[in-house]
Parts: sequence; structure tokens; C-alpha cells
Amino acid sequence: MPPARGGCWIIIPAYREAAAIARVIGALQPLGHAIVVVDDGSDDGTGDVARACGVSVVRHGVNLGQGAALQTGIAFALRQGADYLVTFDADGQHDPADIAGLLAPLEARTCDFALGSRFLGRVEGASPFRLRFLRLAALFTRVTTGLRLTDAHNGMRAMTRRGASHVWLRQNRMAHASEILHQIAASKLPFVEVPVHIRYTSYSRTKGQSLTGAFRILVDLVQQSVIR
Amino acid sequence: MTILLGGVVLYAWLAMARVRFIGLLFGLLASGGLYFVWFQGQANKLAHLAGIGRGVDLFIYIWIAVSLLAILNVHLVVRLQSEKITALVRRLAILEATLDEQGRTSGHDD
Repeated sequence: MPPARGGCWIIIPAYREAAAIARVIGALQPLGHAIVVVDDGSDDGTGDVARACGVSVVRHGVNLGQGAALQTGIAFALRQGADYLVTFDADGQHDPADIAGLLAPLEARTCDFALGSRFLGRVEGASPFRLRFLRLAALFTRVTTGLRLTDAHNGMRAMTRRGASHVWLRQNRMAHASEILHQIAASKLPFVEVPVHIRYTSYSRTKGQSLTGAFRILVDLVQQSVIR
Repeated sequence: MTILLGGVVLYAWLAMARVRFIGLLFGLLASGGLYFVWFQGQANKLAHLAGIGRGVDLFIYIWIAVSLLAILNVHLVVRLQSEKITALVRRLAILEATLDEQGRTSGHDD
């Protein structure tokens, strides 16, 4: 085993993000945290680009989905001795400046999960339909988990080592965003919502969820609640 | 029809070794089907008891229900396989990355 490297680890699940990943990593590196990119079976050299940036890379041999990549990143960071874990999207829609705000309540030991909320912060470039859908998703989450959240599908979140040990994502695809909230609710550990800034660009919009993707999430969640 | 159902019985018997429940279910259903093909009057009597007009209708309804159960079973098996593949891919990925980290911290680059 390599020497444990504690502190904060930023986990970036990435699939076919060769065009954007270097810029995202470059924006994060000045923060001084450890970074791990989970290359989810990309065929465009995403992992090689990330490795050339000097960060840790965990590479899935086949594409499994964002949820699986996130869980791999969490498992790897815990194995490396991470004290705090931050999840960050690879398409550049998140703002690295928000990470300090997410870590502050964790370092103050007031909670184990800090969840980013674009509705408490700022959103740029999102369509009215997307915003309505996200508000509906937050309402659905409130009903199914009891968590009073303003933003249920924000990929920017932070957790303590204790919090991360209560998370084990089995939803390989996009439904992991709801699954993690169910697990946070089940853990009964304290959480807080933190304002974050989301900036949709033409690039990130091509990577985002379509209406059929939203339907797929719904099917995954219903299946999970019926079968498990 | 006898040949077709006989084939299903044979397949169910072979499947018993791998998926006992499904093999047994299809074996019983196909055997029941054979019985009703040979003794059609019995099938009609049973259908009337269940409030269904004809024996063949009863047979079709049961067949549809069992087929749906089989589809559910296939879905669960695929899901289980998917979870196993995920675990395997993750384990391998973390192992490789850990070795990479060891190389980085010891100053070697392979």
C-alpha cells in the first residue's frame, strides 16, 4: 500500500471528456487538494490527458456509468486515507471557488455532508425547462427521502470520511444522485445545503440529461425500490 | 403440439441443473400442457371451474403469466451479473491505480 494521503480528495468521474478535463483539472490544482479522475472506460484518451496533468487516475476497463465511476472514486479516495471527499463534474459546469464553502461546515464538524445547491447560489445558461425539472426532482426527493433540499441533482457535494463510509452507490447510471440522498437520509448524519454556482455552456449542455435520461432515472429508481 | 411441448419438457429438465426454479416451473407447465392436449375435455372442465370459457384460453393465460415471470427472472439474473461485472471492474481499476500511486510516490514511472 502507498503511504496514506489524507486531507481533501476531489473526485472527478469522467467519460469522453478529453476536450475539457485538462481545463477542469487546471482550475482545481491551485486549491492544493488531491485529485482523482475516474476514467469510465473512455475511448478518447480522457485518462491519458488527466494523467499528463499529474493527478491520480483510476481507469474502468469498460464504461459502467457515472454512478459506478463516482463509487470507484470514493472507494479509492478512502483507501488513500482521505479525510474529506468532494465530487466534481468533469464538464466544467462547477466552480472550483465553491469548494471552500462546501468544506467549511465539514471542517467545523457541524455536519458530515455538504450538498451544493444551485438554487441557493447561481445558475447560468440553464433552460427554464431544466430548472422546472430540477425543482420537480427536489420535490420528489423531499417526498421519498424526507430530506428538505432545494436541489436534488447537483453533482457538487462534499462529505467527511465518516459520511463517505455510509455511501455505497449501486446505481451505476444517473439515478445515483437520488440514491446517495436516500443513503444520506438513512445514515441520519447531519447535512447542510451550500450555495454553489453552476454554469451551463454549450459543451456541458451536450453532456447533460435529456428528457429520456430523466425518464431512465425514474425507471431505475422505481426498479430499485421495487426489487431491493 | 405434443412434440413442441415435449421439447419444452426436455429443455426444462436440462435447465433444472442451472436454474432450478425456472426449470421446475416450465417443466410443470409443459407437462400440464401435454396432459391438456391429450385430454382436452379435462382442460375445458378446469377452465369452467376458473370461470374461463375454453381450456385453451386457460392454457394461454397461464403461459403468459409464466412467461412474464421468466422475463423478470432473466432481468434479475442480468442485474446480478451487472453488479458482479461492476465489482470486478472496480477492483481491477483500484488495484491498477494503487500500483500507479506506489510508482509515483517511489519516483518510478512504468
